[in-house]
Amino acid sequence: MTSQDNFQVPQRSLRQRLFTSMTDVVNLRLWDHRIARFIAGIFGVFLFVLVFTVPLDFWGQVIFAAVSFGCALLLRKVPGRLPTLTMIVFSLTASLRYIYWRITETTGFEGFVDTFFGTGLVLAELYALTVLLLGYFQTAWPLERKPLPMPANNTVWPTVDVLIPTYNEPLEVVRQTVYTAMGLDWPGDKLKVFVLDDGRREEFRLFCEEVGVGYITRDNNRHAKAGNINAALELTHGDLVAIFDCDHVPTRSFLQVCMGWFLKDEKLAMLQTPHFFFSPDPFEKNLQTFRAIPNEGELFYGLVQDGNDLWNATFFCGSCALIRREPLMAIGGMATETVTEDAHTALKLNRLGWNTAYLAIPQAAGLATESLAGHVGQRIRWARGMAQICRIDNPLLGKGLKFGQRLCYLNAMLHFFYGAPRLIFMTAPLAYLFFGAQVFQATALMIAAFALPHLLHAGITNSRMQGRFRHSFWNEVYESVLAWYILRPTITAFINPRLGKFNVTAKGGVIDKSYFDWNIARPYVILVLLSLIGIGVGFWRVAVGDFQREQYTTLAINLIWTTYNIVMLSAAIAVASESRQVRKTPRVIASLRASVSLADGRVLACRTEDFSQTGLGLALNSDVKVELGEKLYVSIYRDQDEASFPCEVVFRRGNKLGVHFEELTTIQQVALAQMTFARADLWAQNWGRGERDTPLKALGGVLRIGARGFGIFFTNAWGMLRTTQRPSMPRLTRFKRRPGTTLKTGD
Amino acid sequence: MKVLAIASAKGGVGKTTVTANLATALSHAGHPVLVADLDPQNALRLHFGLEPSAIDGISRATLAGTPWRASCARSERGVAVLPYGVVNEDDRDLFESHLAAHPHWLRDHLAHLGMVRHAIVLIDTPPGPSVYLRQALAAADMALLVTLPDAASFATLPMMETLVDSYTAGSDDYRGHLHLINQADASRQLSADVAQVMRGQFGERFVGAVHRDQAVAEALAYDQSVFDYSIDSQAAADLMEVAKTVHARLSAGTQAP
Repeated sequence: MTSQDNFQVPQRSLRQRLFTSMTDVVNLRLWDHRIARFIAGIFGVFLFVLVFTVPLDFWGQVIFAAVSFGCALLLRKVPGRLPTLTMIVFSLTASLRYIYWRITETTGFEGFVDTFFGTGLVLAELYALTVLLLGYFQTAWPLERKPLPMPANNTVWPTVDVLIPTYNEPLEVVRQTVYTAMGLDWPGDKLKVFVLDDGRREEFRLFCEEVGVGYITRDNNRHAKAGNINAALELTHGDLVAIFDCDHVPTRSFLQVCMGWFLKDEKLAMLQTPHFFFSPDPFEKNLQTFRAIPNEGELFYGLVQDGNDLWNATFFCGSCALIRREPLMAIGGMATETVTEDAHTALKLNRLGWNTAYLAIPQAAGLATESLAGHVGQRIRWARGMAQICRIDNPLLGKGLKFGQRLCYLNAMLHFFYGAPRLIFMTAPLAYLFFGAQVFQATALMIAAFALPHLLHAGITNSRMQGRFRHSFWNEVYESVLAWYILRPTITAFINPRLGKFNVTAKGGVIDKSYFDWNIARPYVILVLLSLIGIGVGFWRVAVGDFQREQYTTLAINLIWTTYNIVMLSAAIAVASESRQVRKTPRVIASLRASVSLADGRVLACRTEDFSQTGLGLALNSDVKVELGEKLYVSIYRDQDEASFPCEVVFRRGNKLGVHFEELTTIQQVALAQMTFARADLWAQNWGRGERDTPLKALGGVLRIGARGFGIFFTNAWGMLRTTQRPSMPRLTRFKRRPGTTLKTGD
Repeated sequence: MKVLAIASAKGGVGKTTVTANLATALSHAGHPVLVADLDPQNALRLHFGLEPSAIDGISRATLAGTPWRASCARSERGVAVLPYGVVNEDDRDLFESHLAAHPHWLRDHLAHLGMVRHAIVLIDTPPGPSVYLRQALAAADMALLVTLPDAASFATLPMMETLVDSYTAGSDDYRGHLHLINQADASRQLSADVAQVMRGQFGERFVGAVHRDQAVAEALAYDQSVFDYSIDSQAAADLMEVAKTVHARLSAGTQAP
């Protein structure tokens, strides 16, 4: 004990001394000079290049890697941004050492097979490294912008037009958005709501007339949603426009929360808020991970956009955003050249010198795409659009952008080219197992000594940076599902950006029967089959003595790699197993203050368990005697406000009650929307508060899902061999062929 | 000691019921509470399970010149109750002329009860202008005006406010009145509208609404407080909320206009 105590005292003071002297160095007046900073920067870069290029033998590299990784593991426990940045530097060192070694030492390919597969893998690795580096750049310092309060004097508040474009969505979906938009907390004479109906439906016109909101149509559907908005811009005059997809329901506080920055920053053109979904996306639905594991979109809205904001490169996402009219008109309205008009519009605004901003507070919520086919269709559109922008308005070229903005946009686009690299990673070990291709000209131990630090550092650094919004290994799951599908559209669009169609994403549907979507799963099924055969071939070749003993390590690496791929592909198969979704309008879990008025005149205080557009789940404090089919009134409260709705009891068990709303008047429907979907804090309170990532736990979860998918694969394998054309399955194809849902964009 | 007079312009708004339930809710919340019944109907005692045949009360004690403490009953619910008492017509005339002649009769008597400092006194009054209301307001720190969410009650509010103002003019201790809606029913548009208008019009002085709830009437029939009879009822929840707000207003010393 004593020796420890003696030891600790000087150590602590050393740390303090170190800290003070570091602070002194940082605070030197010298750094006010540009040249000093520049020279220091050059010196730093020189040292850094030295670190990742210096050659080391096997043990040298092992010791270097172990020390680096040990430091990173220690830093992981220290909160704050400086440790994160330091971890990034460690990760960069490991990755750049790896790729430098990979290119200079391991690419002496001999023969066609080695060269073909080896070069392919090196290119895929270069892509992955580039995206890793850009990702670090993009998300190293999320801005975490806070809302600015509005001035008390509301005569200076600007006028706002709320635009709700719709094409083929049912009225019951759009209605909710209109009701909540009407209830936005803003002076009545400064707020106008417009439904932009490209479907030109009489039912919609009547509805808008009845509730008293604007209804705008045009005589063509050119440029789909972008064209629809542009046509409305000609007819409206508000200082700003708020744009909501017709299935995104704003909370009443949306304008109050978002507008402050527009008053403070006169050059602010667009402010985006997260797209938040109150129903599970197909991943969450089919894997039962809703609210337990961050979904595919959360990384983007939780971290990437916030990181973009630092570089003034937030981009518009088509909905839940506020845009100043003047700059929007200055760039000619919404961009119409690509199928991702939103991102391109923001790029154009940034090019003209306007600012864009991001506020990570969910101020709207919507329905997620219900089927995997629909989800894939939507991602295909994004991927295609990004590839188009990359070709026709490349952010690296052209005028008006700062360097940081160029890199952020570049990463947003490059991100969607993961199709080919992902497929290469999925098949690379097979090249060895089948053909004996030497994709690495190095010993297995050397590969491990260089590649493992690269992968492990990237893993723990990303886990720390993204932990609240993306769990480890889930990126692989998401990419594995989509890789095959975005491969072709990105390549096609990159070669000829004019080829492209706009798929409207269908939402709010019913999947009346669980089924397995063979059509979507086919590529994963084929890859799993190939991998399984590959493993078989591997063992067979050991058995017949094809491999020398010294090749066993290499063989083991490739077998482990293949197994990992099978896990990811099986997870993808599990996603394609569509589970039943019976509710047309999804329920939102929320505990709101409520009361039930019984027929005998008693009124019972209770709370909601969930709500939907059509009914409520209620938890009373004790058992209650009501009959199924009984009519009663249910009130929902918000602070002192109360709204009461006629209901019918459809479910009763113990103290739990399920009620359906009876026919509601317009006033009641507006009140219902205000009491439920439009509540200001409903979505924000849980945002980013999910369980943080722990890599091993995440791996366990992915393994379990992989095992389930593997089971599904075997139990359904016979079905796939027998038929590939089950009539109810290919939703994506049906979706594309239906003439009403497909719009040409260039016309 | 904080004194709250409960008043209404019209009869039948459930004033006595509100007084009794509010007193019980305050008592449940741990405050020492005394209720005094200044309404000749002498009904408040029934809400506290006192013997219906008992005839003692403020009126008799005043006429007989005996101390009030002797007429004060402690109910099972922890609330001290001063009933009006049973008197014949002549005695009531005598009593009322005594009150008219001694404007500070109630205030002085309450002061002589020697209540603890944080005690709360609720005084029930007959509807409309009366010598009782005048006495109650002369002794009160604040008044609580009970209204039904209907047109007739709402229309009488200005009259009532004028009346309260004239009765309390010159009283240094009086700090304004509060508003309460009784028997609210949000499924009726009129009820919801009146509640909204009052909230907008009276702001902080609007202390809330108590739902029309059969549990309140049933509790009385079963000789229980609504909190014992049906703690899950919305009316019970409302009353507890109102009690909290009323207590906050009484102790905050907010200067209401």
